[in-house]
Amino acid sequence: MNEILNLNLITTIIRISPPLAFAALGGLLTFKAGILNIAMDGFMLVAAFTGVAAAYFTGNLYISVVAAVLASMVLSALFGYFNLKFKANIFIAGTAIGILASGLTAVLLKGIFGQMGVFTAREVLRFPQYKIPIIDSIPVLRELFSGYTILVYMAFIFTPIISFVLYKTKWGLRVRAVGESPDAAAALGINVFSIKMQTVILSGLFCGLGGAYLSLDYVSLFSRDMTADRGLIALAAIFFAKGDPFKTVAVTMLFGSAQALSVRMQLTAGIAPQIMQIIPYFVTMLALVIVGIQAKRKHFNIEATTAR
Amino acid sequence: MTEALAMTGIVKRFGALTANDHVDFSAHKGEVHALVGENGAGKTTLMNILYGVLTPNAGTIDIDGKRVEITSPSVAIKLGIGMVHQHFKLVPSLSVAENIVLGHEPGKHFLLDLALARKQVKEIATKKFGISIDPDAIVADLPVGLQQQVEIIKMLYREAQILILDEPTAVLTPQETEELFKTIRKLANGGKTIIFITHKLNEVMQVSDRVTVMRQGQLVTTIETAQTSAVQLAEKMVGRSVLFRVEKKPSVPGKVLMEVRSLKVDSSRGIEAVCGLSMRVRANEIVGLAGVQGNGQDELVEAIAGLRQSREGDILLEGEAIHNASPRKIRDMGTAYIPSDRTLVGLSVNDSIWENMILGHHAYEKFGKGGTLDKKKANSFTQSMIEEYDIRGASPQAPAKSLSGGNQQKVVLARELSRGGKLIIADQPSRGVDIGAIEFIHRQLIAMRDLGCGVFLISADLDEIFSLADRILVIFKGRIMGELSSSEATIEEVGRMMAGIARDGDKKIDE
Amino acid sequence: MEIRKLTNKKILIEIGRPIITIAIALLIGAAIIALMGEDPVLAYSMLFKGAFKGLGNIIATLQNTTPLLFTGLAVSFAFRSNVTNIGVEGQMLFGALAAGIVGYYVHLPWFLHIPLAIIAAGLAGALWAYIPAIMKAKLNVNEMVVCLMLNPIALLITGYLSSYPLKAPGPTNKTFDIMKTARLPQFSNSSQFNAGFFIAIALLLMFWYINNHTKKGYEWKLIGQNPVFARYGGINVERNVVQIFLLSGMVAGFAGAEQVLGVYGAFYNGFSPGYGFDGIAVAMLAKFNPLAVSLSALLLGALNSGSIVMQMMTSVTRDIVKVLQAVIVLLLAADFTLDMFLKKRRDDAAGRKKAKLEIEKP
Repeated sequence: MNEILNLNLITTIIRISPPLAFAALGGLLTFKAGILNIAMDGFMLVAAFTGVAAAYFTGNLYISVVAAVLASMVLSALFGYFNLKFKANIFIAGTAIGILASGLTAVLLKGIFGQMGVFTAREVLRFPQYKIPIIDSIPVLRELFSGYTILVYMAFIFTPIISFVLYKTKWGLRVRAVGESPDAAAALGINVFSIKMQTVILSGLFCGLGGAYLSLDYVSLFSRDMTADRGLIALAAIFFAKGDPFKTVAVTMLFGSAQALSVRMQLTAGIAPQIMQIIPYFVTMLALVIVGIQAKRKHFNIEATTAR
Repeated sequence: MTEALAMTGIVKRFGALTANDHVDFSAHKGEVHALVGENGAGKTTLMNILYGVLTPNAGTIDIDGKRVEITSPSVAIKLGIGMVHQHFKLVPSLSVAENIVLGHEPGKHFLLDLALARKQVKEIATKKFGISIDPDAIVADLPVGLQQQVEIIKMLYREAQILILDEPTAVLTPQETEELFKTIRKLANGGKTIIFITHKLNEVMQVSDRVTVMRQGQLVTTIETAQTSAVQLAEKMVGRSVLFRVEKKPSVPGKVLMEVRSLKVDSSRGIEAVCGLSMRVRANEIVGLAGVQGNGQDELVEAIAGLRQSREGDILLEGEAIHNASPRKIRDMGTAYIPSDRTLVGLSVNDSIWENMILGHHAYEKFGKGGTLDKKKANSFTQSMIEEYDIRGASPQAPAKSLSGGNQQKVVLARELSRGGKLIIADQPSRGVDIGAIEFIHRQLIAMRDLGCGVFLISADLDEIFSLADRILVIFKGRIMGELSSSEATIEEVGRMMAGIARDGDKKIDE
Repeated sequence: MEIRKLTNKKILIEIGRPIITIAIALLIGAAIIALMGEDPVLAYSMLFKGAFKGLGNIIATLQNTTPLLFTGLAVSFAFRSNVTNIGVEGQMLFGALAAGIVGYYVHLPWFLHIPLAIIAAGLAGALWAYIPAIMKAKLNVNEMVVCLMLNPIALLITGYLSSYPLKAPGPTNKTFDIMKTARLPQFSNSSQFNAGFFIAIALLLMFWYINNHTKKGYEWKLIGQNPVFARYGGINVERNVVQIFLLSGMVAGFAGAEQVLGVYGAFYNGFSPGYGFDGIAVAMLAKFNPLAVSLSALLLGALNSGSIVMQMMTSVTRDIVKVLQAVIVLLLAADFTLDMFLKKRRDDAAGRKKAKLEIEKP
């Protein structure tokens, strides 16, 4: 058991979380605006590829991250346009974007770098690790909270920022209104299309950070379809946490740890990885059922009190 | 004195339909001005033009004497025009304050200052309304009356000087209605101009200073409320639209086909729309239901057709209670239903005419054995219907939307009347239909009556009722006000009942 | 006369749109290929040859087409009635597993064994489709979200079963090879083209018949076009939506059966490169018409098959097909109508619609 639960596990979880957390935060904005954003895997994948490609050509990590984010935002703009402007069904458009990203990155992987499966840059570039001053001198806390790279800290710092933006800014209020009652917002002169588009592109930005982290920091390589449904899991987390920013990130960490544990459990105890991996989806399904039942009961109660 | 609002020569066309026909409408500062008219009269269109939702084909608008062009709701809001719609435009899970300030939020730069919002909301509520409202209450939890107040405060927060209220009392209880009227008076006394669209003539008499009547796209009259009465308004609203009467023999009613007993039906908003209504339709007779829109007709008809649940009471078809049966069962029991919403309920406009024609018939053996569908038979049946009902410009394969309104209605008629049903429910059968088709439809209904059917006709067109019905019932506030035989009835008397004045003397039903 | 003119124009748009879309996709693909320094003409000619040149290649193309016939039909049938069954991938997996189980653990002569395995597959697919159906009908939960979660769940459950309890000995995660009596006969030595192809064609014809010549097909079409009208006319919309989900899931299950009984002879974990999602592209190109599904499935099957050769002969990988597919789906899913370029017509139509809504509103 000790092999499974130890400090090392917690730091692993923290380091595994940023892609999920970034995707969840970006996805949360689109969720609040009433958009079912299943294209996030595509955004992250494109960012991951672009990050590695840029690192290969420029040797500069920061330019690579910027390039990755830009690529992701372009793809997200495409998604936004097709769904919001041309009224393409959101699931169809989202899946198509995902397939587009998967195919395009694989084609370019072979075409530009001549690789079929995995690609690593010439020299492995590393993000600097930041040590937080006081915390770094305290034994246990040092392991837990200090020494991560900048993208890890960003993922967690953005959580309260997103919460602030959603609940304490004018834009945030409009996003929430647009998502729940676009008619009400439009009647007050708010440009619904504009607001929705902004959330989509922001989700592209966040997924860009997540994808860049994935291929430049968490590991230093690009492999086909390396996002492994993280976007879908982030979406599941959003549904499960019913759209609360802090809860959502907490849930993504839970789901992320299920992923981490799945590998460990297989190695140490021979437990099938699928058992842990299924948790995010299964748990979200249960949540959907429960919410559905609650909503139905509420409706019945109202009927009961107004009848006769 | 310049008018607060002057709309001149407003014309609005939608294809061949003229919704506003050179309308001149104006309102004074500080007055409560009621705008009345039947559905399709054009009053909502006119107000949508004022609020910037629609742009007119011709005509001008002046606010406080200045010529303006209102291209969108934001422009209207900036000009001081506010509108409270019939279906509220609120965000249910947000608070009162958040709903009110949405789009015009207080706060430095991008920050949202909710504390300031709360303060401003409270101020407006107490100063202008004299009521206290909890700015943090979640809108979804509020009763409908309070939700409406939120909508009004929302407009006042944007400094609206002209307030348009669309059917504001449709969802209110009597007490809430009283509160609303007090509020409206207070606002008007404070210099605001209130325009309120309504069907309820007694409310017009109670709270308005002036009233404008519209009918079929035209402005009929604008008059001081003190100089008119509910009855006069009712007459001006419905008036004569069709100038002929079809030949009709007197009827000899047979057995009871449909009976409604003390029926209570709730509207979609949960308010009781049919309040203990009883009536009968017999074979060989046409029963016409007259009444101002919004008095429960829709809910009554939907309940009889199986599209809406009833809460109490019974509906019996040939003696058999239907107990909230499905539409399928009711049709199988021999009911034909011509719905008032032709394009949404009565037809599938994107499908072909034959596909529209066989609905309800298609399960029958005549279109194929067992589960199969014999398209040849369906097409030939449709073709024979097209000929029998003189549906112009139609071939079985053509899409239903290629037909004109009148011909579409004939498709509905052909379908419903050819199924051999005994009870025919015809809801607004002439709405949006040209004169020639109307005559045809009337002839058909009378022919069905003579063949032994019972026809239940619901119409906002009094002339149609007088022309077709053997017996006339008047519905008011979910109950039958009175029953007249068409030979003895006069328009004046029916009009009185439609306005809520009972037959015996001047007794008004007022709750 | 005017009506006829409009219908002729409309027909041109109906057929023209898929063709133009394919052309645009090919152009975009060519641009990408050129950008990487390869010759697009060479690449596409390799693609075409690989798909159609020679009997061997043609048969391989037909083999690749077969699963798409099933999934394309499953999606078409559902989408035609506005039932968004996007869980076809998961339904197919359970169907495949069921076929693999019945194929191994049951002992019967072939004329009973094969039908039983296929039926089991259809049942499994239908049952898995029942979950989103019932959640929509009883709890009013959005079926798209449910299907989204159920696809990975299906992959993980079937993956677990084929890697642990039902795993056959050996290095690969698969179930035991099915009995010879459960195998669908194969017709070629060089590929796994099998009788499943003909089953698929038969299904297409059957569903075409159902759609166009039965009363149920008529009702289901109406539900997709105008559910209010359907309900008014006595059709029980909720019950029929569940039926449609079940049938769609059943066909998806058959897709899995063909793969296990005809191609692999066992359930291999991860055997599907996304046939369920490909089915969406196939369905959209075919505009949900079962007969047209044969053509669009053939197109995509040819792309998949020919791209193997293209990958061998050039440095362009098979993944370019994914790009083409995605572009096609995006372009088809978008609502560009000729009217969009005639703005005035659109405003009038919108105004008329608005006016109608106002007039008919009580």
